[in-house]
Amino acid sequence: MTTRTSRYVILAMFLVLFLLPFVWIWSSALKSNSEINADPFGLPTSPQWGNLADAWTTGRFGKYLGNTVLYCAFVVPGVTVLSCLAGYALGTRRLPGERYLLGLFLLGIMIPFQSIMVPQYYLVRDLDLLGSYWGVIVPSIALGLAFGTFLMRSFFRELPEEIGNAARLDGAGEWRVFSRIMLPLARPGLITMVVLQFMFTWNMFLIPLLYGQDENLRPVSTGIMFFIGEYSVDRSMIAAGVTLASVPIIVVYLVLQRHFIQGMTSGALK
Amino acid sequence: MATTMIRSRPPLAGRSTAPAARRRPGDRRVSGYLFVLPALAVYALFILYPLVQSVYLSLTDWDGAKPHKTFIGLGNFDRLVHDTLFWRALWHNLIWVVLGTALAMAVSLLLAMLVWSRPRGFTVFRTVYFMPQILPAIIVGIVWSWIYSPAFGILDRGLSAVGLGSWSRGWLGDPDFALYAVLVASVWATIGLAFVIFTAALHNVDQDLLDAARVDGAGAWQRFRHVVVPQLSSAVTLVTVLLLVHGFQAFDHVWIMTKGGPDNSTQLLATYTYQKAFMENDVGYGAAISLVLTVLSLVVSLAVVRLRERGDR
Repeated sequence: MTTRTSRYVILAMFLVLFLLPFVWIWSSALKSNSEINADPFGLPTSPQWGNLADAWTTGRFGKYLGNTVLYCAFVVPGVTVLSCLAGYALGTRRLPGERYLLGLFLLGIMIPFQSIMVPQYYLVRDLDLLGSYWGVIVPSIALGLAFGTFLMRSFFRELPEEIGNAARLDGAGEWRVFSRIMLPLARPGLITMVVLQFMFTWNMFLIPLLYGQDENLRPVSTGIMFFIGEYSVDRSMIAAGVTLASVPIIVVYLVLQRHFIQGMTSGALK
Repeated sequence: MATTMIRSRPPLAGRSTAPAARRRPGDRRVSGYLFVLPALAVYALFILYPLVQSVYLSLTDWDGAKPHKTFIGLGNFDRLVHDTLFWRALWHNLIWVVLGTALAMAVSLLLAMLVWSRPRGFTVFRTVYFMPQILPAIIVGIVWSWIYSPAFGILDRGLSAVGLGSWSRGWLGDPDFALYAVLVASVWATIGLAFVIFTAALHNVDQDLLDAARVDGAGAWQRFRHVVVPQLSSAVTLVTVLLLVHGFQAFDHVWIMTKGGPDNSTQLLATYTYQKAFMENDVGYGAAISLVLTVLSLVVSLAVVRLRERGDR
């Protein structure tokens, strides 16, 4: 039984390694600054719930979170719809020139965002999108398309073609075949797509750093950066900000964790 | 997440002979293109066009403001070859990619092996190990900046608690350690993904083969090396690509924790590109650095796709 015990010891060590930093920061969010300095690791003696309220209002976290939700509300459906359409066509029919189209999309998967960010920044500027919500939303949608198209294509390819053909014989148009028959069948893929894109969008950092520099456009990720700049000595305030930013996504994760983990593995394996 | 690859299409026996497909092939073709068009249009304008533009910009000395871009040929690349900071950034990137990939791979494989038999509490372990993966980089960055803080961080206090107080330092402020300190944070955040991929792959390993090997007297290491590893090969390839590609585009954690400093000791190609193009308005030169990043990423991805195709055969 010793191997079994030592196995649990190692597993538990890593459990602590992954969990402790968060517990530490969350508990710091409820302490005063003097308490953080005096006793960084103890639990808060008298929880300062006011810290969270301060971060929400004074730290403008309410605004930042609202922006993050707004970006998710536009980017996730945007990428999903476009990727489903393209993935469907590329996965279920042999279009002349399909190889080249796939090659083009594949290129977008292989190169990092940093490869295109310099010219893209000036493109967004020249299109007069800089300083508006669209300046963040549109490039984010474009950035998700390559991966999304390939992901959805791999799901549509697995559907039997006969189903669509049967509907066509009954006189259904191409749009009807897609929206009423094929798309509902690809639902597992759709869920994966939405979960992954939600996570990418919630976490995006460089795009809002470039295109959302305006105070009013900042999502949580870059918002915290500026927040730290302003309150660099106010540790309880920073901890409160981190808590506000991490708790919503962790709650979503815990509720939907099966989809997150399956999505990430199947997304990677596809 | 840059791992989706083209797999060769399975033979399509009887596909195009279906009656409906024969009935109106032109109609289906047109609608097929119409389905692709919206995605392609957005993608072409915001991804492909900038990609081509980056080549053009790298041949100019544009500063982002001048109305005319002056063509200077390979001037930027000549400058690049003689730029010691560029070579340092490239070197840091290589350290990052090699060390980071090896470390994340070793730890995640170890953890996946330990939960192979799905012991009690498996779901809890998996949920927690995967958690950093879903958090924004900014949170990972702040949490680790706190851990490394010389004033109140866990690391230094822990070291002095076990009598290693002389080792303590401001980890992110020390040019000799900053790169590794940020790398550890980044690895910590990526282990979860590699772990779940390995866990899924191990679930499919043929137990009969293992039992046979055990009966034949193979030791634990031999069983791991000769029975488990070969069956994991595609998962190993996949995780390698993921980590390599992530490694070359590393930016977020570095930017949040050190911004490339101190003394450029954590400067990577991506951060150097950002600094040149957006902070110093050296746009042409920034584009040239980003082109190096493009080529490196393409070479790595294509090499791995090749390798994988050969493995499949």
